[in-house]
Amino acid sequence: MSFEEISHTADVKIRARALTLDALFTEAFLALMQIVYGTDRNDGIIKEIRIESDNIESLLCDFLSEVLFIAEVDGLVFSRAEITIEDLHLTAFLSGEPFDPLRHSSGTEVKGISYSGLVIQKNANGYMLDILFDV
Amino acid sequence: MIEGVRHTGVNEWEVPLGYVPGMRVPGKFFLSESLGNNLEHGAIEQLANVATLPGIIRHSLAMPDIHWGYGFPIGGVAAFSLDEGIISPGGVGFDINCGVRLLTTPLARKDISGRRDLIEELFRAVPTGVGGKSTLRISPPDLERMMIKGANWAVDAGYGVKCDLIRCEDSGYMKKADCHAVSTKAKQRGVPQGGTLGSGNHFLEMQVVSEIFDPEAARAFGLHLGQICCMIHCGSRGLGHQVCTDHLKLLESATKKYHITIPDRQLACAPITSMEGKDYFGAMAASANYAWANRQLITHTVRQVLAKMFRIDYESMPLVYDVAHNVAKIEEHEIDGKRMNICVHRKGATRAFGPNSDELPYDLKKIGQPVIIPGSMGTSSFVLHGTKIAMEKTFGSTCHGAGRIMSRTQAKKSLSGKEITANLLRAGIIVRAHSENAIADEAPEVYKSSDEVVNVVHEAGISRLVARLSPLGVIKG
Repeated sequence: MSFEEISHTADVKIRARALTLDALFTEAFLALMQIVYGTDRNDGIIKEIRIESDNIESLLCDFLSEVLFIAEVDGLVFSRAEITIEDLHLTAFLSGEPFDPLRHSSGTEVKGISYSGLVIQKNANGYMLDILFDV
Repeated sequence: MIEGVRHTGVNEWEVPLGYVPGMRVPGKFFLSESLGNNLEHGAIEQLANVATLPGIIRHSLAMPDIHWGYGFPIGGVAAFSLDEGIISPGGVGFDINCGVRLLTTPLARKDISGRRDLIEELFRAVPTGVGGKSTLRISPPDLERMMIKGANWAVDAGYGVKCDLIRCEDSGYMKKADCHAVSTKAKQRGVPQGGTLGSGNHFLEMQVVSEIFDPEAARAFGLHLGQICCMIHCGSRGLGHQVCTDHLKLLESATKKYHITIPDRQLACAPITSMEGKDYFGAMAASANYAWANRQLITHTVRQVLAKMFRIDYESMPLVYDVAHNVAKIEEHEIDGKRMNICVHRKGATRAFGPNSDELPYDLKKIGQPVIIPGSMGTSSFVLHGTKIAMEKTFGSTCHGAGRIMSRTQAKKSLSGKEITANLLRAGIIVRAHSENAIADEAPEVYKSSDEVVNVVHEAGISRLVARLSPLGVIKG
């Protein structure tokens, strides 16, 4: 399981690979948190998110948009997620800590999760995705 | 230049019908041959994709800072008929009314040169970066007023002077804002962020007027050689981002409901006259107004800092102008010899209305609208004015900045924040940010030359150069 940032002129493009869809969504979540808040993140405070959408791409965009919203409004920085996806219903338990300006200011705000170039594919080795974050 | 595009005039190129299936009009973009070397195929495809949308008028356009975005390309402009056309958040972006304003001061270069204390004080006073929270107490009723009256609310609340308003596009607020179309989530994000700069390419910069190209226009805009100015670049913060996210989802359903075929999900749209289209327009206008209020609040803080530090009058720092560069607006233009209202989307493009436009205050009517073009960190910014040619060719639009050529991943590999800061300091420019990463992301080398970009629009006549501003101190968001 992994994610990497791939070259994109204006925004941040992420490519992730995982054995399962649950793990793929977790990678996208971890990439998002790393871009916004950097790598120094701890767990502790648990938040639960439930999302349902019409298709798998929307489910991912809706989930990550909800993470951005909760992180900003509740002032939380997340480091872990336990995600379960069943029939386009997602349940996630996110674990994080309060935003600390001294440790969490090395990243850049993500303004939105884009549908442009969004790809989720199943292949012989599991799943992969490409997703663009507007920064 | 990319294969399949045609040279049609000075710095003008056409993307012919058929470049992507379903184009209703050709594409057109403004670019020099040398800037064409960095043009991405993806950006031209996005320009062509916009040409497939219903009700598009004349051309899908792009300015010379064109680059690959999402939905519309960055630098994209498209106008739609109110009867048959659509409105799309993909033509506005997540940062609704991201824009820029320029504030003059009575100070000269010698007053602020090397004054790190000024940059530190501005950095302390204006919340910036990830997690930056407002020091103002904005109540929910204040937020509603921000969304309805924009910069007018801020001035009425004591954060500015009346004459700031006539120096804002749309006098600092769009008239058809609809707070009911703004979700509770968006409002929750808006309350704590009024008066904050944000991050990414947002900045606050102290600059000196270093060259005058058009003395008459410069005089009319209140600019003179050696004068210190302050440029503020930011948008509608989390409120606008949430409005885009929310309505993108709603409009995705509407795209299906109205049987509109789109080549990219980020171009989700609805007829302008539909309920969904009107809701998005109302929420987008409310976000745009929030952004104007936001820039006004930051202006107030800057004036307070400068007034205290240099013992100058708060009212001695008039605004040159405030422009939006991510917005959709209903504007009157001449189409096939007739004046008509159309919906103009500008995504990373600046309105550049020519002389005698009804939208301009009386003292600017002879010259045309001031156009503020920020450079990348450490490079020149420019003031231009709108032209009649822009009214004829680009629905009164021009470029909005330099336009990136290097990705953030490349930037971080090749340049360290420390080195960039040291290099800029040697050039007499003080840079302050929360992190070195933020500086590396926005290094001058990652952008096209702002000189080259403004020369393209100047030569094409869609705006004309007035003055050059050189940076002295930068606060990076």
